[in-house]
Amino acid sequence: MVGLAREEALAHDEVIMDDADSDVEVSDSEDDSGEEAQATPSENAIYNKVAILEKLEDIAWPKNVDWMHKLTIEHDQGGKVDVNDDLARELAFYTQALDGTRQAFEKLQSMKVRFLRPTDYYAEMVKTDAHMHKIKGRLLSEKRRIEEAEERKKAREAKKIAKEVQAEKNKQRAKDKKEQIESVKKWRKQRQQGGFAKGNDDVPDLNFEGEEGFKQSKKKRPGVSPGDRSGGLAKRGKEGKNRRSRDAKFGHGGRKGLKKQNTAETTNDFRSYKGGESQTKKRKRS
Amino acid sequence: MAKKRKRTDVPAEAAGAEKPDDSAPERPPRTLFGFKEPAPDAEAAPAEAGSAVAPFRNKEKVLITCSRRITYRYRHLMQDILSLLPHAKKDSKVESKQSKGSALNELLELRSCSSCLFFECRKQKDLYLWMVKSPGGPSIKFLVNAVHTMEELKLTGNHLKGSRPLITFSTNFDEQPHWKLVKEMITQIFATPKDHRKAKPFHDHVFAFSIVDGHVWFRNYQISVPHNEIDKVDKGGLDKMTLIEVGPRFCLNPIKIFGGSFGGPTWYENPYYISPNQIRALEKRQKAGKYAKKVKAKVRRKMHEMENTLEPDEFAELWKGE
Repeated sequence: MVGLAREEALAHDEVIMDDADSDVEVSDSEDDSGEEAQATPSENAIYNKVAILEKLEDIAWPKNVDWMHKLTIEHDQGGKVDVNDDLARELAFYTQALDGTRQAFEKLQSMKVRFLRPTDYYAEMVKTDAHMHKIKGRLLSEKRRIEEAEERKKAREAKKIAKEVQAEKNKQRAKDKKEQIESVKKWRKQRQQGGFAKGNDDVPDLNFEGEEGFKQSKKKRPGVSPGDRSGGLAKRGKEGKNRRSRDAKFGHGGRKGLKKQNTAETTNDFRSYKGGESQTKKRKRS
Repeated sequence: MAKKRKRTDVPAEAAGAEKPDDSAPERPPRTLFGFKEPAPDAEAAPAEAGSAVAPFRNKEKVLITCSRRITYRYRHLMQDILSLLPHAKKDSKVESKQSKGSALNELLELRSCSSCLFFECRKQKDLYLWMVKSPGGPSIKFLVNAVHTMEELKLTGNHLKGSRPLITFSTNFDEQPHWKLVKEMITQIFATPKDHRKAKPFHDHVFAFSIVDGHVWFRNYQISVPHNEIDKVDKGGLDKMTLIEVGPRFCLNPIKIFGGSFGGPTWYENPYYISPNQIRALEKRQKAGKYAKKVKAKVRRKMHEMENTLEPDEFAELWKGE
């Protein structure tokens, strides 16, 4: 509710002051003003009912005035409305207006009066367009704020849950690893005890879950020369037209930098090395 | 427009017969807006909406003024009310010192208005609203609380400027004579006249006046109901009708009802009314009492001690040496 503190303070004060006298009706002094009762201030009041009613007759519109001139509806409030309860009070006003409007609309409809504004009727409104724009902006920002708060809350919850799930997974993984190691140890122990007999039936059921089959390992493979840096994996497709003769003429191809390397073969290869001592002596002289 | 002229021509004779009476200072008793003459107005009857009496024309004109030294909040409230009532005229500020009553009466006559809403602001804090019917009519003075203007962004509704409002009252307006008078005056002031020049055709907002806790509460709602035609609500549309608050909002506390306009014999005083000055004075007195009470309490305590002296304490000298 927009700041109702002031109004509440005032209404509340008045209620406090006259709580004791709230049941006492206004004094029925039918005579003219001037009659004072000294008891309490609330009974001091003047109330000239006759004159009021007379004047009412004077100023009132004629009794049989068309309802179309007045457009008034009466609505029964029902029980007593608590002033200090904002929501209840506003609700009471709302229901009064709603009920009244329903009755009025039924009347208007029966009178076949054109009373509903068509959507394309453009005329000056009581609040300017700029003002309505501001209102719209405010409503949108409020909506956005609420949504963001909700999202943040959801994210927090999700994070909590995700953390729990993650912890669970980690635990599971650790357990599995432990189990695997244990099972290998057990199998080894069994083998030891069994004396390494061939054709064991208890091949450890090492589960390789988590590994995608048998991956190609480049390190130790049969039939691959140690100098082969590709580990025997480099594919040699079908040899094309005079591949061999070209190879012999222009060399074998492959990586450029592999020609002069210290491999096992070249270390023990002294073919290109001629006469050690004589070479140095010759150089020294010249 | 032609239709309007035609209607004014037909009852011209009847109106002519009434006019000299209307303009005379002393009105005939009981009615302001024409005689109940069935015979010569039989021709006028078909032109009107089926009433057998003299055509009732709501010629209400409201003058809206304020006093000097009015604050922005109340000035905006005044402007909002001005925009709600197309049959209202705004006038410049009125010096609020002496002879306020007569000055305003003269102003009313000058502008030829039949009622007045005068916003009087005192001490730049309290707003009093006078509702007055012009020539010799009663006047009611209210204290205005809980003002929310249309500017507030929480009041999101909007309606046509100048469209005629539907007015709803709670039934406790009919319980007591002074409330009946209030209701009649509110109806006459706030209901836009039917054929007013600035009145727009449709009905898209509703006023709600209710009496709660001896105060008159005012709310203004925009009506939004699903409809495709302009004279018929969609089936079941009445149940889907929603009201959106447009504003402004205020709460009136009746103080006094006077017999004349801006003065005259007092006919009603609100027994539960406490002026805001008194409330403020009361609060201050309560606060001021704090210090006096403290002093009194001290004196009382001293007296008490003097009367009932304590016995000499055995252990009083125990730690004295150190």
